Amino acid sequence: MPDPYTPSVVVVDDEEMVATAVRTFLELETSYDIRDFTAPRAALDALSERPADVVVADFMMPDLDGVEFLREVRANWPQTSRILLTGYADVQNAIRAINEVGLYYYLEKPWDNEHLKLVVRNGVERSTLVNELDARISALEDANQELMDARERLIKMFL
Amino acid sequence: MSDDGVSTDVAADGTLASAVNADRLATLGMLMAGIAHEINTPLGALASNHDVVKRSLARLHDILADDVVDEHELGEVRKIVRALNGTLRVNDLAVERVLELVGSLRSFGGPDRAEVDRADVTEGIETALTLLRHKLGSGIRVVRDFEDLPPIECFPVEVNQLFMNLLLNAVQAIEGHGDGTGTISVRARRRGGGVLVEIRDTGPGIGPELRERIFEPGFTTKGARMGMGLGLLITRQIVERHGGTIEVDSAPGEGARFSVFLPPTLPRTS
Repeated sequence: MPDPYTPSVVVVDDEEMVATAVRTFLELETSYDIRDFTAPRAALDALSERPADVVVADFMMPDLDGVEFLREVRANWPQTSRILLTGYADVQNAIRAINEVGLYYYLEKPWDNEHLKLVVRNGVERSTLVNELDARISALEDANQELMDARERLIKMFL
Repeated sequence: MSDDGVSTDVAADGTLASAVNADRLATLGMLMAGIAHEINTPLGALASNHDVVKRSLARLHDILADDVVDEHELGEVRKIVRALNGTLRVNDLAVERVLELVGSLRSFGGPDRAEVDRADVTEGIETALTLLRHKLGSGIRVVRDFEDLPPIECFPVEVNQLFMNLLLNAVQAIEGHGDGTGTISVRARRRGGGVLVEIRDTGPGIGPELRERIFEPGFTTKGARMGMGLGLLITRQIVERHGGTIEVDSAPGEGARFSVFLPPTLPRTS
């Protein structure tokens, strides 16, 4: 049975070898739609056309570093799970990333593929749940609005 | 001893060779963590690839176990072929990167060869830039403007160290200034059969009172952490041993420009 919804993942690393390696692995091991980019701006453009459930971003990139890139992602697509994949085991960067961009996961290079798959899968699940929650909240808000409208109408009928 | 009249304060060749060697090892030591990281990137990609190949093989074994490939399995085989194609591209890039790094390390840090050779100085500049890639990070841009240069007679190990020192000096000037981002412009021109290389940075610049002192032994504005303050002294001595000239042009707030001229042949020594 084909799934009507294909989760989507965007990978950004200025090193083409890393972006391609991550995409290749995730394509083999998941049924997600995987897009990879070497320029953060190009990734943002692609996200504007079609948002993703999970974004995996390198830290050190020209033009826009990983934290700045993920901050843009959070501002525009808050439901997307944000993963930083960094070669810099640097506590300061980790703290900055977690505090400033609401990071979902902090992964270090070289990465373990099995762990990466697990983190990405959980990230997709989290985004799906957040999306469902948003949909339910919005349905509840609609229902609430209808109730309020009905109440108004009832009050008007009796006044 | 250089007695060609180009300079009177160049150390005896043997002393300079050992000073260059000590400086080279100190530079390598400082860059080692960054170089290790530079090797880690292709290594990480190759490790991931190796894992992809193992997983692909295991799946192919499963698919072929019953000697029948059904429609669903055919789709799976196509997916595996796509993944294996992806690994080839990554392998090419990763192996190329490691070879480039190893080549630069051998050229820069290999056994001390005090041999004279004819060399294209832009190779020395590229060697230094490869080893400095990690230090350049994402904040320092390098703009190259190279003419085709004639090979010059030189001590290539020393010329490598000369450009490494000037480029490292430019990196450190930018790193310690403002938000740590900036541009290094490297310009190489033919000049009277020799070569003229200019290295310009967007760091804080050097005031006139310090400009005279930067080539003195032990002079540094970078604190003990950065080095012994011998880099520019050795740089000048290398230039002079080659019968060339080095000039610095700078004002505070306007960055610095080091211009190095190296003649086509080494000065004749007695």
